[in-house]
Amino acid sequence: MNKVILASGTALMLTAMAALSPAMAQDKTLTISVYALSQDEYKEIVYDPFQEICGCKLVVETGNSVERLAKMEANKANPVIDMAVVSMADALSAARAGLIDKIDTAKLENFNKLYDIAKDPNGDGMSIGYTFYATSIAYRSDKMKIESWADLLKPEYASHIAWPNVTTNQGPPALYMLGQALGKDTPDLAAAIEAVGDKKDEIVTFYEKSSQLVQLMKQEEIWAAPIGRFTWAPFTKLGLPVEWATPKEGQTGGMNVMIMPKGGKNADLALQFMDFWLSTEVQTKLAEKFIDSPANKDVKVSEEVANNLTYGEETAKSLKLIPSAVALDNRAGWIKSWNEKVGQ
Amino acid sequence: MTAQRLFIPFILFLVIAFLIGPFLIIVAASFSAGETLAFPPQGFSLRWIAKVFTVESFRASFGMSMFLAIGGTAAALILGIPASYALSRYKLPGAEIVRTVVSAPIIVPGIIVGLALLRYIVVPFQVGITLALFLAHTALVLPYAVRVVSASLENLRSDIEEAAVLLGSSRLGAFFRVVMPNIRGGILSAFILGFVTSFNQVPVSLFLSGPGVRTMPIDMIAYMEIVFDPSVAALSSLLAFMSIGIVFAAERFLGFSRYV
Amino acid sequence: MFQNRAEALALALPAAIFAAAVFLVPVVILLSDGFRNPTGGWSVSAYIEFFSNPLNQAVFLRTLKLGALVTVTAAVIGYAAAFAIVNLEPGMKGKVTGLVVLPLMISPVARTYAWIVILGRTGIVNEAFQALGLTQAPLRILFSETAIFIGLLQLFLPLMIISLISALENMPKDAVPAARVLGANWLQVFWKVILPLTKEGLVIGGTLVFTGCLTAYITPAILGGSKVLMLETLLYQQVSVSNNFVAASVIAFILIAMSFAANILLKRVATARNKQRRAAA
Repeated sequence: MNKVILASGTALMLTAMAALSPAMAQDKTLTISVYALSQDEYKEIVYDPFQEICGCKLVVETGNSVERLAKMEANKANPVIDMAVVSMADALSAARAGLIDKIDTAKLENFNKLYDIAKDPNGDGMSIGYTFYATSIAYRSDKMKIESWADLLKPEYASHIAWPNVTTNQGPPALYMLGQALGKDTPDLAAAIEAVGDKKDEIVTFYEKSSQLVQLMKQEEIWAAPIGRFTWAPFTKLGLPVEWATPKEGQTGGMNVMIMPKGGKNADLALQFMDFWLSTEVQTKLAEKFIDSPANKDVKVSEEVANNLTYGEETAKSLKLIPSAVALDNRAGWIKSWNEKVGQ
Repeated sequence: MTAQRLFIPFILFLVIAFLIGPFLIIVAASFSAGETLAFPPQGFSLRWIAKVFTVESFRASFGMSMFLAIGGTAAALILGIPASYALSRYKLPGAEIVRTVVSAPIIVPGIIVGLALLRYIVVPFQVGITLALFLAHTALVLPYAVRVVSASLENLRSDIEEAAVLLGSSRLGAFFRVVMPNIRGGILSAFILGFVTSFNQVPVSLFLSGPGVRTMPIDMIAYMEIVFDPSVAALSSLLAFMSIGIVFAAERFLGFSRYV
Repeated sequence: MFQNRAEALALALPAAIFAAAVFLVPVVILLSDGFRNPTGGWSVSAYIEFFSNPLNQAVFLRTLKLGALVTVTAAVIGYAAAFAIVNLEPGMKGKVTGLVVLPLMISPVARTYAWIVILGRTGIVNEAFQALGLTQAPLRILFSETAIFIGLLQLFLPLMIISLISALENMPKDAVPAARVLGANWLQVFWKVILPLTKEGLVIGGTLVFTGCLTAYITPAILGGSKVLMLETLLYQQVSVSNNFVAASVIAFILIAMSFAANILLKRVATARNKQRRAAA
């Protein structure tokens, strides 16, 4: 009898020990939370060299902005990550929720090299832009002509397009530009959502992950989709006539920013890492691989690189961005009317 | 009768084409030379198979899934074998309750299990993601362990061990010397079934991922969300051949299908 | 049969306690969230709110419809396939059963992605249809209920076939020939002999398939996306996009209730037929 209890007790303990062993941590660890794109290149250009400089271990969590923010919220009392990169609006949302801290920019040597618009995009000192991007339409130039954002919804095209879901970073900017094209640009995006809703049965899919679009474009499932410039490069390798539209309403876009969770345990290390990422050398390398458009004004790139990115302060200024506060205050309403008009 | 003779192979052919076809397409796509998943594949190359081995996150998540599949199934068996033994050999008070509780994880959608663990175990008790995944996968495999081991215990006459006890062996001794050797095949079958179930599990692990911690299928989805090249097809083929190899070996040496 | 209660409990309790602590308790707490008032008491207001939203209604009905459709289709195909397999010669039977089980060993992620290639506008299904002259222009199958239906059927059909194979094998060998000799046609044989004798396999297979459809996440996520939501993808969206844990709890309860209801309903149908048979006899 006692032997049986002993045996089952030992079994449980062994179980618990087996579970714990691989979770043992190294002493100096920096945990960052980033977008899932181009991790191989980031590793080569940013993570590995930094690990060598700091003699620390870098743990990388990936996912989209909203998912990662939800996790930050869940772990508010005991932050798991030391630094994250998110969209401008999500940074403001995190700031309002009390999840993040002011960034001590005095400790960043490269701070003054940044474009002015990147220094404090939300005006609260809690985020720093490290890259920005244009959002426009990638389209099959042999199948269609795109001169306006509204062209996508033309009857002959609508059944061959993918539209970003409202919950993605590209969703609201694309709706914002469609609203301008329709001549009804109100912050609630009502007219644009209504217009997309009218065509919801024709539109192939409301995409959430842009990687799928490359496959869909290759299979001729779609001819066009609004995308961020940072996902543009794979389309050029398909061997199909895919072009980047310059609609008459202009291009929209967004800026990605760095933030630091409140109560993060390795603030100094996180700052050192951010400084490294913002340095001219790293930003140049990232630009040369078509990964991120530089926010550091000392970065000089070739014409080919500039064509594949969203390069230069002038370009950045010309993008029609939705202000973070507008995005944040209206987001719940957008999702609600999207679900009513498009979701069903 | 002749119509029936033609009809039956035809139905079988269609069903098997439907079941196996997608897998064959994935295998074919793994050898493609093109940039995207395509069928028929564009050219032949081994570049995507080779690429699988260079993606670092694949290696980490493969290790994680192997650990969960082997460790979780082993833990489930350590818990499940005594429970099965109690259920089949003893007058257990509340046997039905035990049976229901132990097999409950099979009925509840995995996505809910993952979410419940995240909300009420991981966050309040500061449990690490690895441990949470381990607990979840153990719970997930437990019903299979109990079911398969119980089945092979039912097939074994209980008077042998009763005789051993009467002849002076201790109960535990009788179990290890008489019962265990006879249900080895059942235990191994339960292990394989648990391994495959755990390794391919998606919904439970969906909410249970953390910095640097991810299971293989979740990592494959995450990879597909960024890059849509055929390397995930190549990886899937490799994993499938691994699973098939294990099952075939088990079937050949132990007659695995007798127990499932 | 050993009588020692304490020993029995010592053997069984670790597993039961583990399953309860890791699984049952957290899930029950999660489910209770949906019945809690913001002010403290208990209420079903979250359920009223959930079902008053037309989007949620549509998603609920779609999940129910696809689950039922997949289960019924799997049963029909499953009987044909299982009957054919059982009647194969022994050597062949093992091999064909192996082929049916094979997909269960392959990651559902891979199995689902394959359909993107197969069902696309330039995929082999559309090419075949056009070559055969069945359709003029390529059909749009991806991101539709049809695509999810096909994906789920492929995922869960093996479970139905296996359940039915073992049920058919346990059937008395001479039942079908006897009925044939007595002059029953094939439909009568199926309805009066095979179905009543294999109903347990059908209940098990049906429950596995239907529950599978409610549990699958990847298939609706990839083949339906946000355009064709099902309860499981909606649940994920509520958590990871909207951070709405109350709605997630409501959906979780509905999913569990649906799989229990399906199980009870299938058992009911099986016993009802049984009674009818006994009454007729």
